[in-house]
Amino acid sequence: MPQSLPDNINQTLMQRLNPAYLRLDATMKVTQTSSNLSEYGFADITEGVDATEHIDFLVGVDPAQALSLPVVASPNGHPVCIELLPEQGDLNVIIADAREQFDLQQKLQQKANENQLLLEKQRTLLGELHAAKAELARRNTELEEASRLQSSFLSGVSHEFRTPLTSILGHNDLLRKSLAAETRPKSDKKQIYTDAVRRASQHLLSLVENLLDHGKLDAGEITINPRPVQLSTLQNDLEMLLRPLADAKQIDLLMQRQYPVDESVYIDESRVRQCLINLAGNAIKFTDKGSVTISMAHKDDELQLRILDTGIGIKKEDLAKIRQPFWQVADTGKAGTGLGLSITERIIELMGGEMTIQSEYGRGTEVSFSLNAPATDASINLDQAREAAFKDQVSILLTEDDLDIAQLVVILLEEANAKVTHVENGELALQALQRDSFDLVLMDLNMPIMGGYETIRRMRDDGNHTPVVIMTASALEADMHKAQALGCDGYLLKPVEVADIVAIADQIIVPLE
Amino acid sequence: MVGDFAVGKTSLTQKFVNNVFSDKYLTTVGVKIDTADVSDTKLVVWDVAGRDALSPINAAYLAGAAGIVLVGDGTRPETIKSFAEIWQTVSGKLGDVPVVVALNKRDVDGWEVTDDLLQTSIQSSWAVFETSAKDGSNVPELFAALVDRINC
Repeated sequence: MPQSLPDNINQTLMQRLNPAYLRLDATMKVTQTSSNLSEYGFADITEGVDATEHIDFLVGVDPAQALSLPVVASPNGHPVCIELLPEQGDLNVIIADAREQFDLQQKLQQKANENQLLLEKQRTLLGELHAAKAELARRNTELEEASRLQSSFLSGVSHEFRTPLTSILGHNDLLRKSLAAETRPKSDKKQIYTDAVRRASQHLLSLVENLLDHGKLDAGEITINPRPVQLSTLQNDLEMLLRPLADAKQIDLLMQRQYPVDESVYIDESRVRQCLINLAGNAIKFTDKGSVTISMAHKDDELQLRILDTGIGIKKEDLAKIRQPFWQVADTGKAGTGLGLSITERIIELMGGEMTIQSEYGRGTEVSFSLNAPATDASINLDQAREAAFKDQVSILLTEDDLDIAQLVVILLEEANAKVTHVENGELALQALQRDSFDLVLMDLNMPIMGGYETIRRMRDDGNHTPVVIMTASALEADMHKAQALGCDGYLLKPVEVADIVAIADQIIVPLE
Repeated sequence: MVGDFAVGKTSLTQKFVNNVFSDKYLTTVGVKIDTADVSDTKLVVWDVAGRDALSPINAAYLAGAAGIVLVGDGTRPETIKSFAEIWQTVSGKLGDVPVVVALNKRDVDGWEVTDDLLQTSIQSSWAVFETSAKDGSNVPELFAALVDRINC
């Protein structure tokens, strides 16, 4: 390397670093300074002064030790690099410009630290997110438990209500039958009274069922079971059920039918019937003059249902609210749980339909929905299926602990050509089955001494395969599945009608050869 | 003043020396030197660049220190857990010098200082202050305690 190059480099570096210099003796007194010291803010440093009184970074340092401080903020704010170099008992202090290094390091360090802070913040937030998710999962579990308890409570309430309702409805029917057979003076109003009891009981039953359905919908326990249904039968049934309500309010109930008279389709009859009763029941409830029309049309495997009324209508601001559970129009003075419409909409959705409400306040309301309903050729004669009597006499073992219900069922079954033996619990049922043979066992579930499930299990263990039909107020899907698993042949929900028993018995009783 | 980056060493120093505070984070490069009088003692405060994953504390900046303020951020437990490692550097250079601890940012939400954390990160001989450079709480007390310990 030619001699000129190191000289050049030396000169360039000296210019860039602009080093200032001072020399201190062993007592830290200044013995020598460079002229550019003041450029770094070190003023008043003259020979003979105590350096530690003017230069903060010298306080406490050992003058016998070399020290290198890469970046120090000088008194005038300039970043400087400081080298302390002991030499023969003296101390050389070199102060050089470090702005270039400072700027570069500052930028890099600032960015790196800010990134690190962001990462830490992100970690904290992620931790909070995980904690929030865990909390959410915990609350969800609590809610599910609460929902399960609610469902179980509603089911329990339903059970408690259904049993006495079965008795009221059944005994009232017996009373109506015997009244119908009597010759009575025209002024006698007993028939009117029993009709009122029937209407009120059925209304109470529908309220209980709505409460139960609300819980089951929340728990996802409602399933849709399409079966062949004759549309005219369905509409006739509805008419029979609703006409007394319309007559009582002196309004017209109109039925529009747009389907062949013997048209049968695949739908869940009980759910469609429930929706139509809810909607038409509402229409009648909120119509004081004019008419309610139930229109049913079937075309291209689609069932179109429409309930039109000339009632009070719905205010625009209430249209969204009426679909909420438990909501009721405040100023109508109409009774109810406020669940009917919400349940109906959810069931319609479960069946793949969508409920539409159009209304003009003061003029009336139209509620409509469509369902996929494939036409079926299955030849069903519903009138025959609903025949409320056995063709040949059958022997039935009735296991029921509620004596009122038992008395009612015995009377109704005997009227329907059955020979009935009644026992009050499962243990007595097992004894009866050992003594005699029966065509059918009707079994309650909740009984003292031995319940229904245990009885069925023991029957099957003993090799007794008499058909068993559960007859219970429990509408829990879990109970139905359990019954199925135990090999039960049918499941009837109280209040049970004799026609239901006859229909199910006809299917399962195999005539002895 | 030593500790991890962004725990508030410069903020505490500026609050103590000049009674000013800024929310803006500006990383310290190298060291800033300030002085303040505590009673009859002139305190020269070396505000040393914070430690981070890539750059440990430069022990050269500790030369001649008579006492240490260990600063941690009470909302970032990791900065308190790192006291042990920082103390290793400090004591390796200075021996067993007086130490006061500032658990800073007491005014900020998300305080995460637990008894367990103190138990594992703080030596029994150290004086601990929960400080806020923002509102100044415990800042004069922190430096006064350090001076007391140095003068003992």
